[in-house]
Amino acid sequence: MIQTIIALIIKEFRQVRRDPIMLRLLFIMPLVQLLLLGYVVSTDVKLIDTAVYDFDNSRLSREYVRSLTAGEYFVASKDDLPLLNADLAFRQNRRNAVIVIPDDFSEKLENFEKVKIGMLLDGSNANTASISLGYAGLITAQFNQRVLGLNMPIQLRQKNLFNPEAESVYFMVPGIVAVLLTMITVMLSAMGIVRERERGTLEQLMVTPISTIGLILGKIIPFAIIGFVEMSIALAVGILWFDIPFAGSWGLLYFLSFIFLFTTLGVGMFISTATRTQQQAMFFAWFFTIYALLTSGFFIPIANMPHIIQLLTYLNPMRYYMTIVRGIMMKGSSIDILHKEVLAMVIFGLVVFTFSALRFSKRVK
Amino acid sequence: MRLVEIHDLCRSYGAITAVNNFSLTAERATIVALVGPDGAGKTTLFRAACGLLGFETGSITIAGFDVKTQFNHIKPLLGYMPQNFSLYPDLSVEENLSFYAGLFGLNRTDFNQKKKYLYDFSNLGQFADRRAEALSGGMKQKLALCCNLIHDPQVLILDEPTTGVDPLSRRQFWDILKKLRHDGSTIIVSTPYMDEVALADKSVFIFNGKNMAEGTPDKLTALFNGRVYRLDMVPDINQIESINALRGISARRFGSSMRLYIKPEREIADYRAAFSQFGFSENDLREIRPELEDTFIQLMEQA
Repeated sequence: MIQTIIALIIKEFRQVRRDPIMLRLLFIMPLVQLLLLGYVVSTDVKLIDTAVYDFDNSRLSREYVRSLTAGEYFVASKDDLPLLNADLAFRQNRRNAVIVIPDDFSEKLENFEKVKIGMLLDGSNANTASISLGYAGLITAQFNQRVLGLNMPIQLRQKNLFNPEAESVYFMVPGIVAVLLTMITVMLSAMGIVRERERGTLEQLMVTPISTIGLILGKIIPFAIIGFVEMSIALAVGILWFDIPFAGSWGLLYFLSFIFLFTTLGVGMFISTATRTQQQAMFFAWFFTIYALLTSGFFIPIANMPHIIQLLTYLNPMRYYMTIVRGIMMKGSSIDILHKEVLAMVIFGLVVFTFSALRFSKRVK
Repeated sequence: MRLVEIHDLCRSYGAITAVNNFSLTAERATIVALVGPDGAGKTTLFRAACGLLGFETGSITIAGFDVKTQFNHIKPLLGYMPQNFSLYPDLSVEENLSFYAGLFGLNRTDFNQKKKYLYDFSNLGQFADRRAEALSGGMKQKLALCCNLIHDPQVLILDEPTTGVDPLSRRQFWDILKKLRHDGSTIIVSTPYMDEVALADKSVFIFNGKNMAEGTPDKLTALFNGRVYRLDMVPDINQIESINALRGISARRFGSSMRLYIKPEREIADYRAAFSQFGFSENDLREIRPELEDTFIQLMEQA
């Protein structure tokens, strides 16, 4: 039994080594994902291109525009289109925002009357639009305060624990670890088994004395090992290159990742029983990965989702693992804190793996 | 001793009966050739015998073990080579062999010994580091056979191992089979080639899933009833159809010649008038001794 499993594992690694494209992909993928998501994807919105229509053109209005553009958020440029056609600049993707200051701006301010400033935003990118609006509101409030010369009694002093600079890299890297582990193990195990079926080698294996359990273990252990290697590469790059902190226990992270693998390898095995060709298996695995990714809280906070979708996220094992990886890496969470997620993952792993293993052994019998 | 016994096997796919009350036995240290046209049920039969396919009725025992209930006892005794090459094309010859050695639990020393033996008689040694996908058709089949010999099986089931292989490699392949028989292996092999059927100890003709006839090649040839004539001209399809429309005679194209089969109660002279109509005469015909293939054709026509 042990010997047949070892024979299968050696064979699997030889096959991976024989496939130079696969090999490169396996090592380049985590690096590219990390660099892309680490550098490029940032939830902060900066350098918002703003067309300013200042009909007042007074000292006060210019001061308002200056305070708006003082930070790195807004970049003001002069209006170059009639106001009625301002949305054309949005269509041409030249502007993200338009600010309109009425001609009675300073006059009303000096008389302590209410004055309205117009702001147009490009709603086709709702995320950028709402964040821009937030900034503009904040800056306007500060400007109000200054004009009135008031000293506001309540002041908010905020501090982000675990990530004081609010660096998105800090929480993206743990997310990528979860994504990589899911993607690699689901896809490789599904395709690895289907490939044997497609080529007819699975049938040949069934005539040898290998047991079904031995076959399952021999087919999935190599992919679990590859998953761990990928995960380690991602962690190493995250820590050494992006300087992200690692607050928790390495042992706990790897142990819980091991538990998580039962689910992903189980899903991979399930896919292999539901498809006949490698192509079908890949699409299926891709579909699962996207679903898992979108409902895991990786990009989109689960709290922002509609209630019904929130319920759906409970059916996503990656959701729990995402919480665990981020918890361990950023907050140094221990198992007492994560016990609910761990329990959910254990149940998922047991159910999915057992179900798929039974289905698989029925298919090969 | 009977190593393989198949009794009244039935297996159907929906409305189509692939194997129909088929029986076959194979004695120890013999080669049994299974011959029949495509779709006759050979592969279904083999897959059922190797435990890869269930069957409705009948029984299969290999070395005294029942395929349905005791297949785990059979596995170490059985080698099965499916029709399509099913090794790992991206692994080298030696890596394929060592993988199978691992599956059958051979240790390093036994494997090295076995490997040397297999390389010796298959000539694969010179290609040990070559990937399986880069081997010629004949070499691929030899490798597939070697992978199935790693555990010294008593019974070998080979599904058309020489189809599409060049004549020289086919002969070498059969030399290996004869050597294995000499060493005590029981081999059941399907083949579309009549010359290979003649090399077997026993041949079984399968058609529509039925065992139509079996015996030594000579015995099978003697089953032919009637006379065979050869005509050295390239026949066209209309000629063949017109002849087949006549009673007591049938025609078949054999490459660039034609064969006429005449029932025992008929004389060639009965068809003189018809022949002249088709542009040849009785004198162009040459009576030949019936061959194995002629018997098979006759059996197929009677079915």
